[in-house]
Amino acid sequence: MESWRRSLPVFGAFAGPTTLWLLIFFLIPLGIIWTYSFGENVSLTEIETTWTTSNYARIFEPEIITLFWRTVKLAGIATVICLLIGYPVALVIATADQKWKPWLLLVIILPFWTNLLIRTYALLNILGARGRVNESLRWVWEQFDALFNTLGIDGAMLIGERFQPIGFLGTEMGVVIGLVYVHLPFAVLPIYSALERMDRSYLEASMDLGAGQFRTFFLILVPLTSAGLVTAAIITFIPALGSFLTPDLLGRGQVDMIANVIERQFKRANDWPFGSALSLFLLYITFIVLAIRAVIDMQAAKGRRA
Amino acid sequence: MINTPKNRAISRRTALRGIAGAGAVGLTFNMTKAFAASHTGTVNFYNWDTYIGETTLDDFTAATGIEVQYDLFADNDELFAKLKNGNPGYDLIVPTNDYVEQMVEAKMLTELDHSKIPNMANLDPDFLDPAFDPGRKYSLPYMWGSIGIGYRKSAVSKEPDSWADLYTSDEYAGRMAMLGNGQTVLQMALKLMGKSLNDWSDENVAAAEAMLIAQKSRITAFAPDNGQDLLLAGEVDLAMEWNGDILQVMDEDDDIGYVIPKEGGLLWEDTLCVPVGAPNPEGAHALINYLLDAEVGRDLAEFIYYGTPNAAAKALTSEEYRENPAIFPPAEAVALSETSVYPGQEIVQMIDAAWTRVKAAG
Amino acid sequence: MSKGPFDYAKKTSMRLVFFLTFIFLYAPIIVLIIFSFNNSRRGGNIVWRGFTTDYYVKAFENESLREAFINSIAIAVISTVFAVLLGAMTAVLLWRWRFPFKPAYEGLVALPIVIPEICMGVALAVFFSSWGLYVPPDTPWPFNLSNIIIAHITFSFPFAAMVIRTRLQSFSPEMAEAARDLGASEYQVFKDIIIPHMKPGLIAGGLLAFTLSLDDFVITFFTSGPNTVTFPVKVYSMVRFSVTPEINAASTVLILMTLVLTFIAIRMQKPTDIAS
Repeated sequence: MESWRRSLPVFGAFAGPTTLWLLIFFLIPLGIIWTYSFGENVSLTEIETTWTTSNYARIFEPEIITLFWRTVKLAGIATVICLLIGYPVALVIATADQKWKPWLLLVIILPFWTNLLIRTYALLNILGARGRVNESLRWVWEQFDALFNTLGIDGAMLIGERFQPIGFLGTEMGVVIGLVYVHLPFAVLPIYSALERMDRSYLEASMDLGAGQFRTFFLILVPLTSAGLVTAAIITFIPALGSFLTPDLLGRGQVDMIANVIERQFKRANDWPFGSALSLFLLYITFIVLAIRAVIDMQAAKGRRA
Repeated sequence: MINTPKNRAISRRTALRGIAGAGAVGLTFNMTKAFAASHTGTVNFYNWDTYIGETTLDDFTAATGIEVQYDLFADNDELFAKLKNGNPGYDLIVPTNDYVEQMVEAKMLTELDHSKIPNMANLDPDFLDPAFDPGRKYSLPYMWGSIGIGYRKSAVSKEPDSWADLYTSDEYAGRMAMLGNGQTVLQMALKLMGKSLNDWSDENVAAAEAMLIAQKSRITAFAPDNGQDLLLAGEVDLAMEWNGDILQVMDEDDDIGYVIPKEGGLLWEDTLCVPVGAPNPEGAHALINYLLDAEVGRDLAEFIYYGTPNAAAKALTSEEYRENPAIFPPAEAVALSETSVYPGQEIVQMIDAAWTRVKAAG
Repeated sequence: MSKGPFDYAKKTSMRLVFFLTFIFLYAPIIVLIIFSFNNSRRGGNIVWRGFTTDYYVKAFENESLREAFINSIAIAVISTVFAVLLGAMTAVLLWRWRFPFKPAYEGLVALPIVIPEICMGVALAVFFSSWGLYVPPDTPWPFNLSNIIIAHITFSFPFAAMVIRTRLQSFSPEMAEAARDLGASEYQVFKDIIIPHMKPGLIAGGLLAFTLSLDDFVITFFTSGPNTVTFPVKVYSMVRFSVTPEINAASTVLILMTLVLTFIAIRMQKPTDIAS
């Protein structure tokens, strides 16, 4: 790597456009909503930056705190589920035959390349009270019902008088399913690459030294891939925090998350200052998550040195 | 495929469109002569989705030589947000009555030049001097309707003729949908409480909010604008909805009914307005005039299936449309219903805070 | 090959987990594709009423849907070109030079990747409207899409930069040094040595930017203006209003496009490269 001073014009030619672009179309927009977040609505269409902190104070009203908590909770649950599913899936890919690996990986990534709205809509279709999932369950129920009838057993005790569809839509469960569905590929990839980078001989050594399979799994394999797990958790959790579409379509207005409130401030409520404050607060939470990760990384590095 | 029996509604509308199309050809000749020379350019028309006839705009272009750029919004807030910091280039917009007030207050609408809209004479006189726009300075009526309850006849014990069936009763728990718009949902609670739906006093809002929080777990969905689909799909048996949306599914399923509850509902009117800064106000006026034409209005009304304020157009419509109680509700229901008044920015934000509390409730 | 304790891919339980995940990921999409051929106007996703391709015809004849589709493709193509350009410059910049505040600069470049989409959508929407950066409605296509294109470039070029930089890391600076010593100009070095080496990265970055652009909903939702409805925004408004089988048909077309793109990507390189 050379010093920037050595070839100043070339450096400038490379640095200039990117820096300008980021400045104009990224930092300035963020700066504007930052000033708006200290602003007040003076008329229907005008906002004056009065450096009031009332917009931030409103974030601490109980209902907004409740919604933030719900957002963090649902994103957190979805992240944990993504890791629980993603880890075995990544393990299968990482230990598969070389010729299968790329294809298995592709199978997991492909949905991520499909439009978010289409994926959510596809999920919406099958999760309804009369969607495919419930219709399949109904079919299973009917088989049992018929079986009990032929056997002369009173099935109602076991499986109920009639089939009760599971209410996925408009419930937290439905939103979590949606979040997992959308973010699962994010979780698999970092775990997979951590597994690929890992030195297999550690596992064999552990087994040779008499540790069982489970102990080896939890004491060697998981810690060795913890960096991948942390990355997976973060790139699942952060976008899940800002989810707008999933709660909007699958939550049916019953399970709003914070992004839905933000959207309303810019539309229905016409309260851009408050909306700006909310989005920045979400951004600050993101920074906190990243900072926690940096601390974990630093401690891990220290641990390795010691 | 379109003319299969189960698509009865479409086939009827298609047939009607054929007739209207034939009418429009005759119209085309006259109007081309009269206007083609004087009008050119493009009108940017910003309208609700599914809110125009399938050939209306093409017919307009054929008749006048003015191209129409058609763009859609999903609700009034989206419309307002788009225009908030200056008109991005729309010539003709379709806000609902209370938003007309809001936009007039925000100086976002231009005064209409009535001399350029001779077809105003076609309008029902009842619509010529509304409280939200005295003298129709800024807006002309496009369609009107009500908000009531759509329901599945075979699934209810009796006609759900009170908002209480939706707001306090547990009879239909897990089988009810409300609209997704907080203000409207709270307004119907005010009606149930026997208050005016424009009476936003603190205690009214608090009571309506408490009522909704108590009922929330029994509501299946706060549907943005698709309660009729949930009703048709059998996911809910009661849906608070716009009458036109329920009418669309009533056409397909005889088991669905619509009622304005006895406490009264909400009446609304979507209007044609020209926003400040419109690049082509001439073209916008020409399009307004075209939409208020008797035959064009008939075609529109029978296709969109909302109530038309156009008396000349209504006279040409089929009896099935004209006599439909869900489009033109009984006079006593209309008398009990109210139109929404723009309450001012502070109240709007107070309503949103209440709605957020409903949303946050567990 | 013997079945060792860590050949997880050979364990039935693990294979079952993978298989179930596969079902979970694909079942909704497959149901959507199947029901796009369902001959039922409303509630088209519930009862099978026979095979038809009518809704493909209807979707194709739906002018606003078609326009939205073309807009989306145009936005993806144009923003990809710029994203790759800016991404490549950023990658070279970070790879080649030491400069003051470099870690901070790296953080800044990574910020559009980590920032929640809704924050960015809101910020850009406010930026465009508060600075009056409206595109006049009679702007010729595709320039009327510039606000959305700008937004897409902004969120996709850091991803492209990341991919290209990874590729550059395998480049030995000595090669460039050697060329310079032999009298090659800065420009020649760049054109004849660095760019050819970057090429797989440029392609991978481009594909990533392209799919990110096609995939985006939230940022587009906030930054779209008059006459600039994109496919996802159009489908969103259709979904909110009422479910029609046209949506299934149009979605299927977009899914197929994604498949074709993926196929091209595989032909060009190993999928493992795309993944990393």
